[in-house]
Amino acid sequence: MSHKILVVEDDQPILELMDLLIRKLGYEPVLIANGVEALESVTADHPSVILLDIMMAPINGWEFLERIRANPSTREIPVIIFSATPQLEEKVAELNDPKLSILQKPVKFTDLKAGIERVISK
Amino acid sequence: MEKTVSIAGRSFTHTDIVRFWVIASLAISCIFITSISLAKHVETIYAQLFYFPILYATYFYPRKGLFLSGACAVAYEILAYIYVFPDIGGMLYTTGQAILFVLVAAVVMYFTEKVNLSEARYRSIFENSLLGIVLFDQNSFSVQLSNTRLLKMLGYDTDEFAKMSFADLFYSREEQRKFFELLGSSQDITSFETRFATKGRAPFYVNLSWSRLNGNIVSCSVIDINQRKIAEMAAEENSYQYKQVTESSPTSIIILREGKIVYLNPAFRKFSGFTEEELLGSELAGIVHSDDLKAFPDTSGSFDAKPLPVVEEFRFRTKSGDIRLGALFFTRIVRRGEPAVLINLVDITEREHLKERIKQDNERRRGIISTVAHELRTPLQPIMGYLNLLTEDPKAYGVTDETRAILDRCAKSVDRERQIINQMLELSVLDAGKIPLRYTRFTISDLIRGIVDAGGYVTKAELAIDIPQEVVFDADEGKLSIVIDSMLSNAVNYSKPPRKIRISYSTRPGDAYHRLAIQDNGIGITEAQLDEIFEPFQLPDSASISRKYDRIGLSLSIAKKYIQMHGGYISVDSVVNLGSTFTIHIPKQRPAEAPE
Repeated sequence: MSHKILVVEDDQPILELMDLLIRKLGYEPVLIANGVEALESVTADHPSVILLDIMMAPINGWEFLERIRANPSTREIPVIIFSATPQLEEKVAELNDPKLSILQKPVKFTDLKAGIERVISK
Repeated sequence: MEKTVSIAGRSFTHTDIVRFWVIASLAISCIFITSISLAKHVETIYAQLFYFPILYATYFYPRKGLFLSGACAVAYEILAYIYVFPDIGGMLYTTGQAILFVLVAAVVMYFTEKVNLSEARYRSIFENSLLGIVLFDQNSFSVQLSNTRLLKMLGYDTDEFAKMSFADLFYSREEQRKFFELLGSSQDITSFETRFATKGRAPFYVNLSWSRLNGNIVSCSVIDINQRKIAEMAAEENSYQYKQVTESSPTSIIILREGKIVYLNPAFRKFSGFTEEELLGSELAGIVHSDDLKAFPDTSGSFDAKPLPVVEEFRFRTKSGDIRLGALFFTRIVRRGEPAVLINLVDITEREHLKERIKQDNERRRGIISTVAHELRTPLQPIMGYLNLLTEDPKAYGVTDETRAILDRCAKSVDRERQIINQMLELSVLDAGKIPLRYTRFTISDLIRGIVDAGGYVTKAELAIDIPQEVVFDADEGKLSIVIDSMLSNAVNYSKPPRKIRISYSTRPGDAYHRLAIQDNGIGITEAQLDEIFEPFQLPDSASISRKYDRIGLSLSIAKKYIQMHGGYISVDSVVNLGSTFTIHIPKQRPAEAPE
C-alpha cells in the first residue's frame, strides 16, 4: 500500500503541480486547499506525511499544526512545512518538534523527493 | 652723582673738601686775628668772627660743627689765658664768649637736624609713596615735580618726564577734555577715574585727586587702578558671556541646592512649560514622572555625598500635562560657597519619537521584503516543479535532447532567481542585526573539503588546497561555509578554463587571526571596483561582464557582513586579467560575550 501524502495548500497551481509530482514519486496525494477541511481529512485519511503551507485562510499553517499536535491520534504524523515564507527556521527551532521539517518554496524535485523519503524512512 | 675722594679709608665729595678748606681757613683766621687783637691790647675783641666757621660748619655738618665750636671755644680760652690773665673781669668775659660759641652751635645743630629730618621724612614719603605724585602749573601744565612711582607707572625716566606737559599724559582727547572741565571748576577733585597713556601709548587706568597749592601749582595724586580695572572688565566680560551662554543655550541648565531649584535658564522654562516664579525654590523631583521618581538621585549633600549618576534619562510632566523625556547630566558644584548640583538637561523627546519611528519604518520595510519574497517565491514553485518533471523523465513527456538542454537553462535561471530572493532576505535580516552567531570549534580543512565536494568544484577547476589538518576554527561553521562557498563560486564564475583555484591558510605566532586565502586566475578587479564589490547589488563592471558570466549580486555583501559579525574582515588583492585573491581574516578567539 502506497503512502498517503496530504498537501494543505491554498495556491491552485501549486496544488496541481504537487498532484503530479507526488504521483511521480509513487505516493498517493490527498490535496486540500483549506486548513479547516484538512483537519477533517487528517483524522479520516491518516496520511503518512503532511506537506503544509503557512500563509492560508481561514486558519494558517501554524494554527493547523497546533491543532493536529493537540489531538493524540494525529500528534505523531510527520509534518513538512512547505512554504515561501521567510525565516521559517527560527520559528521551527522554537517549536522544538522532532517530527517537523522544512521545505522552502520553490523546492526542486530532487529536494522534494529527498525531503519526503527522509521523513517516511524514519 | 658727585665725584668722591678717598682719604684714610673714608670717602669725601669734592664739596666736602672745599667746605673743609673754607671752614679750616676761617677758623685759623679767627684764632690769628683774636691773638693779635689780644696781644696789641686793641680794646675790641672780635669774638663774633668765630661764628662764621662755627655756623658754616654746623649748618652743613651739625655734629662736626658742634665739635668745631668746642675746639674754637678752647682755642679762644687759651688765648685769653695767655693775654688777659690775671684780669678776672676779662677772664669772665672771654669764658662767657667761649661758652656762647658752644651754645649757639648746639642750637644751630638742633634746628638743622630737625629741618634735615623733616625734609628726609617728606622726601621719603614723596618718593616711596604708593601714589604717584605730580606737581604741575595749572596754566602752562608744565610738570614741576613728580615722584618715581609715577614715572614707573607710565614707563618714563626723570628727564623725559620733566619735559612733558601734564595735559599730554591723557590717553585720549575725550579724557583730556573731561580733565580740563573738572580743573576749570576750580574745586579740589577727589577720585577722577581716567586713562593716562604710557610711554608706549598704551592706555593705563588711573584715579586722580588734586588740590591747589599756593599760586598756580596743583598737587595731583595718581592711583594705579590699571590691574583692577582690567580684571573688572574681564570679569564683566566673563559674566556677560556666561549669561549669554546659559540664557541662549538650547540645553536646559538647572542648579539645585538641597534638591530645590535655585537657578534655571529659559530652555528649561520652555521644556517644562512652567514660569521662573513657579520653579524657583521648588523641588525638581516634583515634576519628574512618578514612575521615574524612584531612580531620581538624591541631590542634597556636598562632594563627599553619594556619587551622582553622570547621565540618566528621566521623564518629566510639563505644566500642560505632556510627558517629555530628558537626558540629565549631573555635576556637583560649589555655588556661593555652598554645595549644589548643576544639571544639564537635553530634551530627547523628539529623538525618542524619531527612534521609535525609524524602528517602525524598519520593521515595516522588513515586513514588505518578507511579503514580497513570499509572493515572488510562490509562482516559482510551479515553474521549477514542472521544469524538473520534464527534465527528470524526458521520454515520458516526449522531450528531445535539444529541448531538454533548453529546459535545463530555464531551470538554472529559476534557481538563480530563488537564490537572489534568499540573499535579499538574508541581507534584510542582517541589517536588522537579528541573526546571532552559533560558535563551535571545527577543523577548517574538513569544512573546506565538504564545501568542495558539495559544490562539485573539483570538476570545475584545478584545485590546490594547502591547509594544515590540525587548524581548528572557533566560529559559526554554517555562516563561514556560506562565505567560503560564495568565494569559490565567484572564483569559478569570474574565470575561464583552465581555471586554477588555490585555497591556503596562513598565520604567525602571536597573530590574532586565522587567514584563509582563495586565489583564482580570473578576470580580476580594478582598483575602482574594489570598494564597490561588497556593496549590495554591485558587480564588477556589470554592463559587460554580466553578459559573459553569471551574476553574484549579493553574495559578497552577505559574506562581508558574516565575517564582520565575527570581528574579522575580508581583504582583496587583484590584478586585472591575472586573478584575484580574497582573504578571510577571522579572529582565533571568539569575542568574550559570544554565546556558545
